[in-house]
Amino acid sequence: MASSDTANTAAAAFDPYELKDVVSGSIRDPYPKMHELRRECPVHTGPIDLGEGADIADPNRPAPVTVFGFDEVVQVLRDNGTYSSSVYEGVMGMVMGRTILQMDEPDHRIARAMVAPSFRSKVLERWEEELVAVVVNELIDSFIDRGHADLVREVTFNFPAQVIARILGLPRADYSNFQRWAIELTSVAANWERGVAASEALRAYFAGVMEERRAAPGDDLISDLVRVEVEGSTLSDEEIYSFLRLLLPAGVETTYRATGNLLLALLTDRSQFDALYNDRTLYPQAFEEALRWEPPVTVILRRAMRDTTLAGVHIEAGADIALLLGAANRDERKYTDPDRYDMFREIRQHVGFGFGVHVCLGMHLARMESRVAINTLFDRLGEFTLDPDAEVPHIAGMAFRSPLSLPVVFAAR
Amino acid sequence: MNEPLDVKIDWDRCMGSGNCVFWAPQTFDLSEDGHAVVIDASATDEERLRIAAEGCPVGAISLWRGGVELPAGEES
Repeated sequence: MASSDTANTAAAAFDPYELKDVVSGSIRDPYPKMHELRRECPVHTGPIDLGEGADIADPNRPAPVTVFGFDEVVQVLRDNGTYSSSVYEGVMGMVMGRTILQMDEPDHRIARAMVAPSFRSKVLERWEEELVAVVVNELIDSFIDRGHADLVREVTFNFPAQVIARILGLPRADYSNFQRWAIELTSVAANWERGVAASEALRAYFAGVMEERRAAPGDDLISDLVRVEVEGSTLSDEEIYSFLRLLLPAGVETTYRATGNLLLALLTDRSQFDALYNDRTLYPQAFEEALRWEPPVTVILRRAMRDTTLAGVHIEAGADIALLLGAANRDERKYTDPDRYDMFREIRQHVGFGFGVHVCLGMHLARMESRVAINTLFDRLGEFTLDPDAEVPHIAGMAFRSPLSLPVVFAAR
Repeated sequence: MNEPLDVKIDWDRCMGSGNCVFWAPQTFDLSEDGHAVVIDASATDEERLRIAAEGCPVGAISLWRGGVELPAGEES
């Protein structure tokens, strides 16, 4: 393919990690301010400043709403008749195309049913050993004889993009371009023109791949998508491009950050690290607690379809509503000592994957990928620890949060 | 010792997220058409069943004891 030849030359000097900062921002701990605002009221109207400055309110639009409480976030996400996902038609729609993210019922249910079978946990099992473990092992091979590594730069940042690329059945030579477009698309808010160009590049690239898969279907997601049929409907090419584009921020960005957040939680509390290291059956609660404690995506949006009230606060029809998942997950009315990571806490429900009919489609893939990554690190590196000579890492970001680095040491093999 | 829990799934609500299968794989499974089904209500301890029910993103799972529905979040 001509497009990948030319791009390969540029890809040689490309380190995708260099693009990462623009996505996340530098806010370290937005939670004290969130606690303060939630204590005032779990629902606020008007612009909110969580440390990056408040947006300027548009006087021609209904006042925006921000939700900080767990029960209130769940209430909004369950009531998809009152609270519409069409709010994502704007920026996301322009860059991604029309996706399930921005659809309401009944369109959403049908469109999701077409792609959902590919993301069921049983279907994903086949990727576990032959794919995810292979990718993670290869990454570890490159540093295991060194005795130290930055687990963000050398593992977590790279593996989800490679996993998605392999699930799509992309040739290995294309991975570097694919990851670059993925990051450029995801960071569209920081660089609009570059994001839109990446979106177009992905369409052209996927068009070629889809043509090949129609002619010769394989054991991959794109082959599934060009053949799928639900209640007599099939996916148009445009719908497939859009879904594949959505997979990048949804499937790459989130998993890398969630895995980094879990690792940071374990590395900064040795009793938690030891507990999981010595009993891998604790993984489900260890990962879910990481998603509660530091969800990689901290905010999702809805738009009110009619005048309504939430926690006694009036919401005007048409108002945009920011649901702060991170704030909800640390609601003191629900969780004891909410700022502490504790895989043994009693209440495990959280909204880190969202909630309601739009709940993360890739949750089982994320859980499996992260489990394989952590288990493989444990098995290969043994009891790794934070590098005592490096600065103690921390989680940063606002809309997306994760550690920028995780310097560790281990016995070289 | 309490009477065993009964687990019900509202198929009009269920959207096949599979979250219940994650928390209680011995009790729940997904059918061919993508709905959750109960294979064995007694195969999972009550704490896990409660997590699975409360974690259902569309509130399709209810727990019953002796013909009475348990309120969400009730301690056993």
